[in-house]
Amino acid sequence: MAAPLLAIQLEPGPFQPLLAMEQWQAQVQERMGHLPAAESSFVGRVRPHTGAGEPLAALELEHYPGMTEAQLHHLAAEAANRRAVAAVLVRHRVGRVRPGEPIVLVAVAADRRGPAQRCCQELLEALKHEAPFWKREWRADGSGLWLAGNTPL
Amino acid sequence: MGHTPELRVLLFAALRERAGWQERLLAAPAGATPAAVWRQLGLEPNEPDASIRVAINQQFASWDSPLRAGDELAFLPPISGG
Repeated sequence: MAAPLLAIQLEPGPFQPLLAMEQWQAQVQERMGHLPAAESSFVGRVRPHTGAGEPLAALELEHYPGMTEAQLHHLAAEAANRRAVAAVLVRHRVGRVRPGEPIVLVAVAADRRGPAQRCCQELLEALKHEAPFWKREWRADGSGLWLAGNTPL
Repeated sequence: MGHTPELRVLLFAALRERAGWQERLLAAPAGATPAAVWRQLGLEPNEPDASIRVAINQQFASWDSPLRAGDELAFLPPISGG
């Protein structure tokens, strides 16, 4: 089986998940000559409130340039090989992200729905905990708070 | 006498703001470990919290990994991606 096609990208500004998926599907089509039968995707958006329930002005995403990209690639390869899927797409925002804007997109193409869905979920959980990103909540009064973890699954 | 190993130390997010700096070049004694560098720099708390992770040359590593001249050492507060 050919090595899975991995498309990993950090997004410094707002991006459109559906457009990113169309571009990725075209790449997969070109590389494989067809689109696999099963595709699973996840889009994460910024909530309009902080963890404490107050209105959120923006979420700031800090990363470790170099390590974050390498670690995303490593995690994607690991999840793709474990589930033997054909292609993986990851787009992840960095910088200041406003409520409602997409922050992460993960998409997986495979021959069957099981591997596609499992790989998508496993990779999302892996990148939330193992890729160096840090979130800071900014409130309307200009105060900021670094988060020390993720919301529950 | 060999040359002094020089490390590049990086802090991120809450750790950076607590310490008030982002990057330092540091002469570390031979055989230094991330745990020893943490104390040498006077980072707080003195015994680093289990939630803080270490990366050497942009790969996760342990607190007692041996450091070499030219290494990039980063202290990473709890990750929150996605």
